[in-house]
Amino acid sequence: MSALKLFAWIAAAVLVHFVGMQLTPNFARFIDVFLVVVVLHSLEASSLSALLTGLLVGLLHDTITNGPFGLFGFADTIVGYGTARLAQRLVIQRPTGVLAVVSFAAALQQAIVVGLLFLLLPDPALPEPFWIALIRAGVSGLLGTAVYIATNHWRRNAEVRRRGKMSRLRLG
Amino acid sequence: MDERRTGWVLIFVLVGQLVYLAVQGARDAGSQTRLETVGLRLLGPAARTIAGIPTNLSDAREGAKLRGTILEENRRLRREAEDLRLKLLRLTDVEGEMRRLGSAVRYTTPPAGRIRAVDIVYVDHASWLRTLVLYSGDQEAWVNQPVLSPDGLVGRVIAVAGPYAKVQLVTDRAASVGGMVLRTRRQGVVRGGSRGSGGLELDYVPLQADVRPGDRVLTAGIDGVFPRGIPIGTVVSVEAGGQLFHRIQVAPAVDFGVLDQVYLLDFDTVPQGFKEDLSGERP
Repeated sequence: MSALKLFAWIAAAVLVHFVGMQLTPNFARFIDVFLVVVVLHSLEASSLSALLTGLLVGLLHDTITNGPFGLFGFADTIVGYGTARLAQRLVIQRPTGVLAVVSFAAALQQAIVVGLLFLLLPDPALPEPFWIALIRAGVSGLLGTAVYIATNHWRRNAEVRRRGKMSRLRLG
Repeated sequence: MDERRTGWVLIFVLVGQLVYLAVQGARDAGSQTRLETVGLRLLGPAARTIAGIPTNLSDAREGAKLRGTILEENRRLRREAEDLRLKLLRLTDVEGEMRRLGSAVRYTTPPAGRIRAVDIVYVDHASWLRTLVLYSGDQEAWVNQPVLSPDGLVGRVIAVAGPYAKVQLVTDRAASVGGMVLRTRRQGVVRGGSRGSGGLELDYVPLQADVRPGDRVLTAGIDGVFPRGIPIGTVVSVEAGGQLFHRIQVAPAVDFGVLDQVYLLDFDTVPQGFKEDLSGERP
């Protein structure tokens, strides 16, 4: 069930990414929906599941970008594993905590990708101005927080409904 | 699995990926990986489906307006087709004359190649890892195949997965095209501009060469990928950079923001037999 849910999240991320790119060409410049899925999954998953999810989602992201294949796979593996380890040590339940984690993860991912580009390409150059990287981290953080709040809300409502049903069954 | 073992898995996965990236870097820039092909096969249909849906109201409104003016549009296009037919007649005449003159001095003109229209299913021209994904239908594209638009050069195919093909845009930092200034025939290397500017740079043009803003830059046909004479862009600025070469900024001829269809050029610049001769051992 958990794997199915994860695949549904990845499919949703792909869908949102493609629709976003249809709406505005700057979508991928300012939001990374793939990273949001990796971080939100890693907050609740084991570190092994988180790193494998990071690898899978990162490689999917690599398919639709033009750098050396595996850049995002590498970066998202580290981000997924790091987030899972962090979530095992800290209790991250508040939306502000999620905002900070997703934003930091987005910044870390970009730093890793740029570092790898400098290592791999013969004539590397800084890809984007620094402020765009900051905005991307912030916007990805906001999107992650919004999704986290919405899923929590949905989960709580489902739980209330389930309890209501159970109590009616007992009374009946 | 305990955390220690997971740590080893992480190290194994990261080292594996680093080796994979390093091997890719060492290989030919035009080569594609199997994983990339699988990814493209998975994501290509999704991109194509979404590209086919009108995503905003303005598109729908524009469609309705177009339907209203379709007759007028048809008349205008017929007139244009007539004009173009006349121009074609004149050009065929000029071509024949050129061939006759060429044969008089034993000059063989290179083959022009055929073009075929293909749909764009995904384009990201704004971010720094620029990408274009094409749907070429039954007839597959091939790696290093030139991609054009009516305005000029778009890029080259770098990965093919069935009917889907990934294109490296000419504005990509890693892309290089042999270019020449039309006015002076001075050759150089056109590359994607730095810092995600979306522009181009013409490198390796000596300081003594005459290059001015406004000069048109075309493909030189010296890179073994693109034939000669495809518009690349227009020189925007020329500065003295370093001791030997100019620093030349070029604005691309193609507006990547309005592309919805491009053309694949069925053209092999270097004949297959000659390529085999080059790659084979020499006596």
